[in-house]
Amino acid sequence: MASHPAAIPHDAARARHPDASGTVVRDGVRIVWDRYEPADAGPATPTVVLAPTWSIVHARLWKAQIPYLARHFRVVTWDGRGNGRSDRPADAAAYDHAAFAADGLSVLDATSTERAILVGLSAGASWSLLLAAEHPDRVQGVVFIAPALPVGRLPRTSDSPPSGFDVERESYEGWDLYNRHAWRLAYARFVAHFFAQCFTEPHSTKQIEDCVGWACETDAETLIRTQDAGRLLDHASLAAVTRAVRCPTLVIHGTDDDIVEHAVGVGLAELLGCPLLTIEGGGHIPPARDPVRVNLAIRTFVESVREGQLA
Amino acid sequence: MTPIPPLPPVPPSLASTHDRARLPDRDGWAADESGVRIHWEVYGEGEPTIVLLPSTPIVHSRQWKGQVPYLARHFRVITYDGRGNGRSDRPTEPAAYDGSRIVGDIGRVLDATGTGHAVLVGLCGDGVWPAFRFAAASPDRVEGIVAFAVGVPRLAPPHPWRVQWSFEDELPTDEGWAKVNAHYWRRDYAGFARFFFAAITTEPHSTKVIEDAAAWAVEGSVDAMLADAATGFDLDRDGVEAVVRAVRSPILVVHGSEDHCQPPVRARILAELTGATLVEVEGADHMIPGRHPVLANLLIRDFVRSLRRPTP
Repeated sequence: MASHPAAIPHDAARARHPDASGTVVRDGVRIVWDRYEPADAGPATPTVVLAPTWSIVHARLWKAQIPYLARHFRVVTWDGRGNGRSDRPADAAAYDHAAFAADGLSVLDATSTERAILVGLSAGASWSLLLAAEHPDRVQGVVFIAPALPVGRLPRTSDSPPSGFDVERESYEGWDLYNRHAWRLAYARFVAHFFAQCFTEPHSTKQIEDCVGWACETDAETLIRTQDAGRLLDHASLAAVTRAVRCPTLVIHGTDDDIVEHAVGVGLAELLGCPLLTIEGGGHIPPARDPVRVNLAIRTFVESVREGQLA
Repeated sequence: MTPIPPLPPVPPSLASTHDRARLPDRDGWAADESGVRIHWEVYGEGEPTIVLLPSTPIVHSRQWKGQVPYLARHFRVITYDGRGNGRSDRPTEPAAYDGSRIVGDIGRVLDATGTGHAVLVGLCGDGVWPAFRFAAASPDRVEGIVAFAVGVPRLAPPHPWRVQWSFEDELPTDEGWAKVNAHYWRRDYAGFARFFFAAITTEPHSTKVIEDAAAWAVEGSVDAMLADAATGFDLDRDGVEAVVRAVRSPILVVHGSEDHCQPPVRARILAELTGATLVEVEGADHMIPGRHPVLANLLIRDFVRSLRRPTP
């Protein structure tokens, strides 16, 4: 037998590829979705929708959830408008939370998903919450992770410091980089700073590098549009929307989240009357940094929702 | 009858079960004729059985934590803590770490777990070389070998930095590879472990792999390491060649192009001598299963499946 040297590039091995992918067009904007399912999937197999978050990243953010969850459930993801394979519409209004929620509904239809359990991270909490409130027949449950919702103090990214997003400065350091002009001048610096703040845990260099790479697949102008759109739910609508949610919910939040403080997760769990899983020492993106714990929590939640409905 | 000595305390990384992705289905002990107990675990029930060999005594079975949950879904997986670390006994006399004892543990674990034959997977000298010795001596018990970061002595000279300093003598410095020294180990074994794993895990994003491995080393025993280091290696180049050429099972060799522990040329020579398939991972250092688990797992899976492919 001859020897066969073979060089394997580092990223050639993805743990799980989609079983189906497609594009849905809504108001002229193309949204690309992926579906994964277990080999023995049947009509009773629950569907988990891993919703997009802010367009600074795309569906690869869920790369540590998909291979595990897709062994037990159907899993649907989509690239949120503004990043990945989806379109980047040129008007700010196209990026408000209602647009993301409507994309979610279209993706449910396009993937033949009658009902699903949603998982929303950070900004993704807004559209997940909206979908659950407005389409109770389609949403069986929601897992909120580090929800960027105006519970108590506003999340840092909503506008920090107040009106600081538009202030022109001589130079931009630290959180001053969260600024329209800074994004145009030094997008990569902002992105590097932002994700360094997202991952406060040790051993996060790969997660930061991944996120910075995904952020570089979109651009400053697109993110400025998302910011101008008001992508997060406001205070006034939050109470009404949470009251309308009838399905089971779960909140997961890290104690060391420097983007959305832990108290927001505590507050949302109180508003919804649902359990809170606190990740001691966790930062803003536990799905990337604590995948085993997050995956087990999602799976347990999905199974409890299914059992609750069978009972 | 001599009383059975108490088992070593369970190291924290093996005791904590709440954040492990996969727990064993069965565990137990195998013992050799001198009473040294080896702790094994069995995961899953597929075919065939894969034994993930310990790189003992420097680390224990958790070194395979990136492999076990995945492989156990497809195959039956056995891990064990090698003598000198983990939940296994930690003898401190060099004779206990003689190559024949370490190789014998493979057979003892196969027997204790009711395993007739298996695919052996090893990393570096403490895993790969015993796999070849066992396969040469017991061909009917080995279906295949996956050799990561080939540590087969004598095939080619070691990296120059590995032999730069005396292991036994007091050295004028503690810097760099001078930490691979018996006196330094006694003074600061944790310092050695941190240095060593950082020096052989040089790719970006390796901090967790380094911290884990250094912690597993510290959970072990510097006395076991010293005893292991005191055992000699009794074969010359021809003797080593005779062993690897005697292996009849299929072999997969996986080696990083930037391996700072084992020179890549050892992998090439081993593949040439045995006809093994060689996969060189461009840019990878020594700890491929820990640092590139998806790649390592898929390579193991595909290799194992190829063993059972029906011939047309």
